[in-house]
Amino acid sequence: MDVALVAKTLFIFAVIMLVFAPLMTWVERKQSALMQDRIGANRADIFGITAIGLIHPVADVIKMITKEDVIPAGAHRLLHTLCPLIAAVPAAISFAVIPYGGSYSAWGAHWSLVVADLDYGLLYVFAIGSIAAYGTVLAGWASNSNWGMLGSLRASAQMLSYEVAMGVSVLGIFMVFGSLRMTDIGVGQQETFRLLGFLEHLGWVAPGTRWVDWVTIPAWGIVLQPLGFFMFLAALMAENKRPPFDTPEGESEIVAGYFIEYSGMKFGLFFMAEWIEVVVIAGLMTALFLGGWSLPWISDQELIGWLSVPFGPNLANLLAMVVNVSVFFVKLCFMIWVQQILRWSLPRFRYDQVMHLGWKILLPLSLVNILVTAILILLVDELAS
Amino acid sequence: MPGQVVRVQRRERLGLAERLYLPMIFVGFAVTSRHFFRNLWGYITGNVTSFVVQYPEQRVDYADAFRGHPVLVQLENGKPKCVACGLCEFACPTDCITILPGEIEDSIERYPEVFDIDMSRCMFCGLCEEACPEEAIVMSREVELATLDRAGSWFHKEDLLRTEEQLGRRVGFLRDGYSR
Repeated sequence: MDVALVAKTLFIFAVIMLVFAPLMTWVERKQSALMQDRIGANRADIFGITAIGLIHPVADVIKMITKEDVIPAGAHRLLHTLCPLIAAVPAAISFAVIPYGGSYSAWGAHWSLVVADLDYGLLYVFAIGSIAAYGTVLAGWASNSNWGMLGSLRASAQMLSYEVAMGVSVLGIFMVFGSLRMTDIGVGQQETFRLLGFLEHLGWVAPGTRWVDWVTIPAWGIVLQPLGFFMFLAALMAENKRPPFDTPEGESEIVAGYFIEYSGMKFGLFFMAEWIEVVVIAGLMTALFLGGWSLPWISDQELIGWLSVPFGPNLANLLAMVVNVSVFFVKLCFMIWVQQILRWSLPRFRYDQVMHLGWKILLPLSLVNILVTAILILLVDELAS
Repeated sequence: MPGQVVRVQRRERLGLAERLYLPMIFVGFAVTSRHFFRNLWGYITGNVTSFVVQYPEQRVDYADAFRGHPVLVQLENGKPKCVACGLCEFACPTDCITILPGEIEDSIERYPEVFDIDMSRCMFCGLCEEACPEEAIVMSREVELATLDRAGSWFHKEDLLRTEEQLGRRVGFLRDGYSR
């Protein structure tokens, strides 16, 4: 048994499942409160200490676990029990391929801060994400409820449609960085390019020493694939069934959608799955589009090199690891904030609008995006050779 | 900030930015994040702009037209004003009132021996109040009806008696409203 692998897995599990997922309930309440000029959860307390509402996740969990678990009459008992797990487990394990740090070596040991550095990287996330659709679809079917069935039908249509757009919209990233491996994409985003470098390539602008020639931009995914960023974010949010894509839940139309017949911690697991997926989406967006674990303009070698001067190589690697991991989680928190603010800003799409956006806008746009990206890559390669 | 009215001119046809949708997302994003950061700063500095009433500690003075659960008006001698005519019982759409009339040697002559209201069935419609010829049953401003068992939602005559001071402006409002 590889000790480092176990340690990395436990770290990710502890951070995502025990810190981020419960905190998301707090973030959801408090952020919406702040955005709507309210105060938010502030009642649960332990001996009078409310800790700005941070006790509420604890109260929620205690309530969920001690609640009566109801399986409705006519429900498929096995599937009804299994579905929350089918929904939650894929969400939890898809973080395995997301790198939260580079690779470091100190005192003869070598670490790469990703649980599974698979060379098919993102395809693993897509494959696992598709399994989560079964949890949603079967949950509504197994609970023998009209509302649940309606929610399931909507969820199946939405999740299958957006899987296409999700896969195609992120292809540009693979083409630009030439790899499916998430760590390669992370390293690739540490490079920089000059503002007019591309035009110089084409011979349209003569290389010179104007101020603009000194400006460099980090080669982050969001800079190289701006359209891909928005499309991938939209597709991922639709996959996660969060507002504005929450037609499968649609409180005002079909009560609670696919998980209407669930109570207690089974209901809680569906929500856990949703919040873990928010964190996974934030991690994916960070790793693919926001430069991963690296600071802008500073590559890992440079950082370790600078830190080696005062601290020596071993300690420098360790410090660089701390810096990179914290940078990754800061970016991750930012993406969670973005998702939450979108969730509370936008009204729910109508069901036909969801389909319209998925098939008629996202899919053609992402195909155009691939075409344009391919032409540009060919042009650069042709002129470089 | 409270009480600010903003008039928005809405166009019939959508502009280009609105049809593209993405630019308008950023507009909405800007509005919500402006509120977010202003309130976050308010939270840190300790002056939060909020319309929230912290309910059990702070209370709102309900409007005169507010209908809480029905109560019986108490006379100065401690007896109910009710003459047990049964009109409220008859008017009640949910049949939640139970009256058993009794006889007393008094100018009123009749009084309710039993006057029960099942608050779990009452829907606060106020028809009993409207039907009452004696202003004896009146909608109060009380709304806190949570109980631990079903028997707790069965209000008896003693639980329902309120003096006219306790009812406040409601009786006057009734006289104005029904031109009595």
